[in-house]
Amino acid sequence: MPETIDARGLACPQPVIMAKKAIEENEQITVLVDNDMAVENIRRLALKMACGFSVTEKEGGIREIVLVRTGATSQTPIDSEAIAAEMSCAVVAGKETGPLVVILSDNHMGRGDDVLGDILIRSFVHTLLQLKPLPDTVICYNSGVKLVVKDSAVLDDLQQLAKDGVDILVCGTCVNYFEIGDQVAAGHISNMYDIAETMAGAGRLLRP
Amino acid sequence: MEEQRYVVFLFPSVSYALKAEKILKVAGIAHKLIPVPRDISSDCGVCVRITEDKQQDVERELLGKVGWDKVLLL
Repeated sequence: MPETIDARGLACPQPVIMAKKAIEENEQITVLVDNDMAVENIRRLALKMACGFSVTEKEGGIREIVLVRTGATSQTPIDSEAIAAEMSCAVVAGKETGPLVVILSDNHMGRGDDVLGDILIRSFVHTLLQLKPLPDTVICYNSGVKLVVKDSAVLDDLQQLAKDGVDILVCGTCVNYFEIGDQVAAGHISNMYDIAETMAGAGRLLRP
Repeated sequence: MEEQRYVVFLFPSVSYALKAEKILKVAGIAHKLIPVPRDISSDCGVCVRITEDKQQDVERELLGKVGWDKVLLL
């Protein structure tokens, strides 16, 4: 009878540690988890230990993972901290402590070449749409506010983000400084109180 | 509403993509510079996305001015 591990509702890295322990003691195990992070971590564990891996979607967001030991499966001591560090637990931990806030402080990405920086920021903003989960807030200040005006190449991406529930804060002082108040076409004008508070309350700040 | 279908033009380098973009801007053809989709390439490249119906217009504009590698349906 294959061993079944119920890791539903457990936070990273618990599911992967339980899975590792069980697969070292059994030829085949079934692990029940309820989040994508746990699936990914166990997938990586399987890869690392050269185990067979399969996952089946069950009702209620439950995923049933089957790990099968192969001849080559190595047995290494369980080091919880090492597993936690190696897996994406830090990311999960960050998510639990507060919102993900993206800072667009420039209408270029990186320093060195503005033509390249323009291409990069456009790619970056477009790619934000594919992040899972989406950022909670995007803050635009300094020349970053130029990304939300009518002729911005990423206006459609930012509008889509807003439609998908991302709060887009646009620095009012900056809009005023660049005299583009009548051209802002995404997000809402905000002030330094909101901006500072949002940054202070963030779990993670992402600044391209 | 039917979902909008897109095609992407892939170029040999970033500078080709930029040149193509300039041409399309002048020609008034709606387009968008986006990262090359992950399932197409793992390189950190950019490509030009247009709506499917504009493919021939774009090819006509670019022909003889800037070469492209591939046109793919997204």
